[in-house]
Amino acid sequence: MSEVTVTPPETEAPPTPAPRRPRNWLKIAGVTLFLVLLVLFPVFTGTDVAYLKAGQYVLIGVVGAVGLTMLVGQAGQLSLATPFFLLVGAVSYAVLAGDSGDSGDLVGLGLPPVVAAVGAVVICGLVGLAFAPVSGRLRGIYLGVASLSLVFLGLYLGQSLDMLSGGTSTGRPPPTFAIFDFRFANTEPAPTILGVAVQKQQRLWYLFLVLAIGAYLLARGAVRSRIGRAWRAVRDNEAAATAMGVHVTRVKAGAFTISSAYAGLAGVMTALWLDLVKPDENEFVGTYSITVAIGYLAMVIIGGLGSIPGAVAGAVLVNGLPQLLTLGATEFGWFADARFGGPSPVLISAFVYGVAVVLVVMFEPGGLAAIGRRLAHVRAARPTRGGDRG
Amino acid sequence: MTAAPAEIREDVRTLAVDDVTLRFGGITALSEVSFAVRPGTVHALIGPNGAGKSSCFNVISGLYRPTSGRVRLGDTDLTGTSPHRLAALGVGRSFQNIALSPHSTVRDNVLLGRHALTRGGFFSGGLRLPRTVRTERRHVARVEEICAFLGVDDRLDVPVGALPYGVAKRVDIARALAVEPTLLLLDEPAAGLNATETAEMGVTIRDLRDALGISVLLVEHDMGLVMGIADRVSVLDFGRLIADGSPAEVQADPEVIRAYLGTGGEEPE
Ligand SMILES: Nc1ncnc2c1ncn2[C@@H]1O[C@H](COP(=O)(O)OP(=O)(O)OP(=O)(O)O)[C@@H](O)[C@H]1O
Ligand SMILES: [Mg+2]
Repeated sequence: MSEVTVTPPETEAPPTPAPRRPRNWLKIAGVTLFLVLLVLFPVFTGTDVAYLKAGQYVLIGVVGAVGLTMLVGQAGQLSLATPFFLLVGAVSYAVLAGDSGDSGDLVGLGLPPVVAAVGAVVICGLVGLAFAPVSGRLRGIYLGVASLSLVFLGLYLGQSLDMLSGGTSTGRPPPTFAIFDFRFANTEPAPTILGVAVQKQQRLWYLFLVLAIGAYLLARGAVRSRIGRAWRAVRDNEAAATAMGVHVTRVKAGAFTISSAYAGLAGVMTALWLDLVKPDENEFVGTYSITVAIGYLAMVIIGGLGSIPGAVAGAVLVNGLPQLLTLGATEFGWFADARFGGPSPVLISAFVYGVAVVLVVMFEPGGLAAIGRRLAHVRAARPTRGGDRG
Repeated sequence: MTAAPAEIREDVRTLAVDDVTLRFGGITALSEVSFAVRPGTVHALIGPNGAGKSSCFNVISGLYRPTSGRVRLGDTDLTGTSPHRLAALGVGRSFQNIALSPHSTVRDNVLLGRHALTRGGFFSGGLRLPRTVRTERRHVARVEEICAFLGVDDRLDVPVGALPYGVAKRVDIARALAVEPTLLLLDEPAAGLNATETAEMGVTIRDLRDALGISVLLVEHDMGLVMGIADRVSVLDFGRLIADGSPAEVQADPEVIRAYLGTGGEEPE
């Protein structure tokens, strides 16, 4: 991304680390506590599923942002196509798992939901791969604009192919997700955790949590290993990457494929979250719109390009804030005048993360990840890790 | 004059540049250039600015395809080989302008050199399978050994962007060595280094040749360095090979002296 700077080291050269780092108990305890809180989240929210839905939306953002930061931050390919793959994922799931509808005007293959979800992710990966001839040739802002064209393509296809998408007026309901006989729906009787019934929304929360954690761990592992090094090499210098044995075209295509598959999974989750698959009516506002493309880009920039934990933090901010503000609006009557042109939750959060992006770009290009690392550094007085270890 | 190492390895083969011509539109960067790098030698490629040295390197490493002529390593024709396969064939190279990832640590950068020696994609890496982790640990150990050889093992965890130029230059060479090359291509290893660092670099290049028994082809402007460490020197001027011999022969060659002093008048490009 930038050339090697020949500045003196910021910090004193750290001492040679021990061959294997001692386990950081504080960190392990923190992570465990965090996971326990996430698992107990449905217990705190109780019967009020509004907060649970907000949390689910954040988890969708986590999956999409983790996929995008690998592509943009690690492999150096700017993409604004996330909403397109969200749409392809959502529609693919509905088509693969759905039935043909009463009047037979919808295409539905009736596959088991798990198969359909995996199929939708694979389809998105393949569509991403099909874009590789473009993504491999273009760079930077040119690739960004080219990928944005996919969002328009999605809008057009979603509107015209309504036997797949259900059309803009009604959309189509995605089939209830199920793993074998366990349905992600309300049932009687329902299992309980600490007295709270685990019904549809609680189940979806756990499903999304597992998917997000899996997506996160897979990405972290990849970033730390051979493929991650190849991504960074391609990002920083293609000639050097080639000389080291990296097949640049293939690695670029692979990164786009994987990132698209991640977005596709986020798309399947979106369908389940909304309980509806419905293409947008215009390109600027909606579930699969340019606004969403910018939101995802904001997540990975705020988090720190290429940082997997950073992408999570970015998703919490960008997807969580509007949800929280909306909840505040209904509960405490904030933004009562939004209808009359006053600020709305969406407007305010767009403003907040817009400002966050500007602050990051101006003062801390490493984003929240770099700030986090610095705090950890101060706390433990350990040597800084490279910014690229994920 | 060939001060070859104690034993020459079987797998180190001759690099033959055979009648190579390279044109960019109207510019002839290389014109019918032929020379050979014998196994286990330090071979220098010198010449004034714009003589075609880097172009020659890029032809050898497959980044440029010659207009005519061939490059062979042993029996393998490198001209028709895609450039990313060269690492696996035992060709490692460093770059004139350090081409490392500034935000990644030294260890991470040098580990890239192991790319062709390892396998594994998104899932095997992502799942951190025990086998993957074990293999990686082995490669990390080797990388740290190589870094120790180049004297950069005290900076393994430092991002390359935070290193002084001279150290980064050594990391670049460490990465080229991590390929486990039988032929090491070094493009201006001493460029931008001060006198002490240049002298150290010269010692390092000889040492690594002696320790590994590989061939080294280097492009260099620093005559002191070249004459001190090279077994053989090829001189390019305006894309033509004007001399090829031992350092002493080349230094005495009138055409070389003319090229360097520029008394021959500027030829039109
Ligand atoms: N990609 C290219 N496109 C067009 N012309 C090129 C290209 N690469 C090199 N040249 C030209 O080929 C000639 C040889 O350049 P080259 O970089 O190989 O010289 P060099 O000997 O490495 O010089 P230096 O000592 O300055 O590094 C120059 O005239 C240069 O302008
Ligand atoms: Mg050059």
